[in-house]
Amino acid sequence: MGFDNAMLWLDESVTGLFSQWNAYTSIIVTLFLGFLTYQMVTRQDPDTHPMLLARQADASRVREEGQSSVYRSQGAPHGMPLNSGLNVKAPGASRWSRGRDGDLRDVWRQAVTGVQDDGPTKGAKGRIFTVLGSENVTEHSLDDITRQINLIGQHIEDQGGHRVAIYLPNSVELIATLFACSFYNLTAIILPFDQSEDAVLSMLRRSAADTVVTVPGAFPFDSVVKSYPALRQLVWVVDEGSKHMDWNEVPKGMGGSVNVSTWQEIVHEQPQDAGKELPPLEGQKEPRDITVFWESKPGVMEEMVRFTAANLVSAIAAQLFAVPTAQRMNPSDLFLPADSLANTHTLVLTLAALYSNASVAFNSVAGKAADLGVATRGVAPTIIAAAPATLLKTHSETSQSLSSVISRNIHKIQTSSLTQSGAMPAASFLTKLNDHLKPAIGTKPGKLRLLYIAERAGAGTPPLSSAVLSDLRVFTGARIIYALTAAKVAGAVAQTQLYDYRVFDDQCSHFGPPLTSTEVYLRDTDVHRTTDAESRGEIIVKGPCVAGNEAALGVIGVVRDDHTLAYA
Amino acid sequence: MDYVEQRVAQEAAKPAGTTDTTLFTPLNILLLGALLYTAYVLLRPSPPPALPKEEPAVVFKTFTPHTLLPFNGEDGAPVYLAVRGRVFDVTKGRNFYGPGGPYANFAGRDASRGLAKGSFDEEMLTKDLDGPLDKLGDLGPDELEALQGWEDRFLEKYLVVGKLVAVVDAGKE
Repeated sequence: MGFDNAMLWLDESVTGLFSQWNAYTSIIVTLFLGFLTYQMVTRQDPDTHPMLLARQADASRVREEGQSSVYRSQGAPHGMPLNSGLNVKAPGASRWSRGRDGDLRDVWRQAVTGVQDDGPTKGAKGRIFTVLGSENVTEHSLDDITRQINLIGQHIEDQGGHRVAIYLPNSVELIATLFACSFYNLTAIILPFDQSEDAVLSMLRRSAADTVVTVPGAFPFDSVVKSYPALRQLVWVVDEGSKHMDWNEVPKGMGGSVNVSTWQEIVHEQPQDAGKELPPLEGQKEPRDITVFWESKPGVMEEMVRFTAANLVSAIAAQLFAVPTAQRMNPSDLFLPADSLANTHTLVLTLAALYSNASVAFNSVAGKAADLGVATRGVAPTIIAAAPATLLKTHSETSQSLSSVISRNIHKIQTSSLTQSGAMPAASFLTKLNDHLKPAIGTKPGKLRLLYIAERAGAGTPPLSSAVLSDLRVFTGARIIYALTAAKVAGAVAQTQLYDYRVFDDQCSHFGPPLTSTEVYLRDTDVHRTTDAESRGEIIVKGPCVAGNEAALGVIGVVRDDHTLAYA
Repeated sequence: MDYVEQRVAQEAAKPAGTTDTTLFTPLNILLLGALLYTAYVLLRPSPPPALPKEEPAVVFKTFTPHTLLPFNGEDGAPVYLAVRGRVFDVTKGRNFYGPGGPYANFAGRDASRGLAKGSFDEEMLTKDLDGPLDKLGDLGPDELEALQGWEDRFLEKYLVVGKLVAVVDAGKE
């Protein structure tokens, strides 16, 4: 009878237990079911497999004495060539044939031609805007810019210019002059804008410029003419309001040898149908170099770096490749460089946007503007490249407004969606409560989908921790790519992966794996050595996007266990 | 059926209105426990997944015939062999190149001549470890081609972990 007794006891105790059911029990069970339902409904699949983030770069199995393994992107493993160019194919060429590396001319040709690949967007072209304020947004037709490129390039070439210094804020004219230089066999020199008189003079001297394209008011014309006799010609880019003035007049007794003209005059005085066709691809000359100046800490002289056209296209190609296909820049995007175009990182991203036939908006306050709201006035960008200081300001302002217990907890839930589920937080009735606290970016909130931020090695940019980056993802609703950039490297040395939302206890976030155009190793210094246990030392970068193919960054780095590069 | 009747009677006999109305009945405690545990399991923060650390990279070394000799695979040592100055780590192919394998003679030695001639004999090896490296100057085109074939296969399959130099050249770096 042992079994029967046991069953009887079981029966009695279960009945006994459930006979205790009361109102509280109902409440608890309701809560339980509610909780389970909520968890199931809000469950999100991670954007990428978590294991793909656990080891992000490919390390060489053999290392030289005195340095670490060489690390490479998983997209360009050891034994494969690094990404050297845009793979430009002639129209009608086989999809699988290997194209040319190309140069900047191919970027503009692609922007003008529109999307070539078959698909729903075939033939789509980007648009180009100038933002002059929240009410004043001008669109420029691509054909118009092509005409400007041709006429300006032709003019400078005819006047005997060779080395063209571009001293302009972010603007269509800056990018047009850059393309004019590449089409008309001129060397472009991009000067950082808004510099002191001495700095401008010293940069002109060091780069041996003979032509300057600039805006009145910012350029110290008198002193340059006095103390820089090598200047042969000057092109003023005057705005609509002051174009009636006679800009050609050169003060008496000085600058007699300088040929002064204005951009508008060069473009408007030519017949309407002049300069509509870009110079042909066949028989074009080797592209000239592009010189840029790397601003480091205040008081330290800018470092002059000469990039070949090949360096730049390699960097552009790597930036295009670095984003998964589904998230790449496309004709429906609007890209806004909110950092100075004199930074190669911003410049390369802008060129990548043009090459992807995305729309681009230029805002002349960008660069110095420390406010994302100001930089994005009047447009609704989907992709922004901005400086760390700008975003740090956005972060601190928005964090302060998260004052109530409720908003802080909603923020916590959104953060855990990023860090625990590995997915961008989905909009829900709860998160709507926090929407009004979000920073105002662009005219249509919620459009922004991608933020590029670049740390400048050795230039004293404020570091962003992975926690701050995670907060910014929540605040802006955009994914973030945080890159390490350096003077001698076009584009970036390494950058975080689009889907990497992990948060660590750090002062400065890691920089992800190298791009497909770079390989990175760490060289031993007196204090920092690579051992079998860890890779540590001065960051050295090699690759087709590096000026001179190899550069030491002068900063100490480590490669973490997940094979991402970070400051030591 | 007896049992059912008995239980029904038993339950019916219980005085009505004795049900507990407090929060802390055993049932409630049980359910609360289950709720809290589930919440803990689902909401517990977990660190991002990590892969086991990779084996440390091998440091590229310069070998002389003497220092290469110990890497012959005996007593669990790695198996290295040199082809035209390049030292390959062939430990993965221990069955061939390790002790007892058909190519065991090459372990820890310069195998260039033997591979070129397709011979695994002792006399293919450079006897004088202190002398210069085998320059292979007397080989015919067929033999050099065979050697190139081997080298390509090695480069594909094995790691180059160092270079081989003659004893006289060792200190010249």
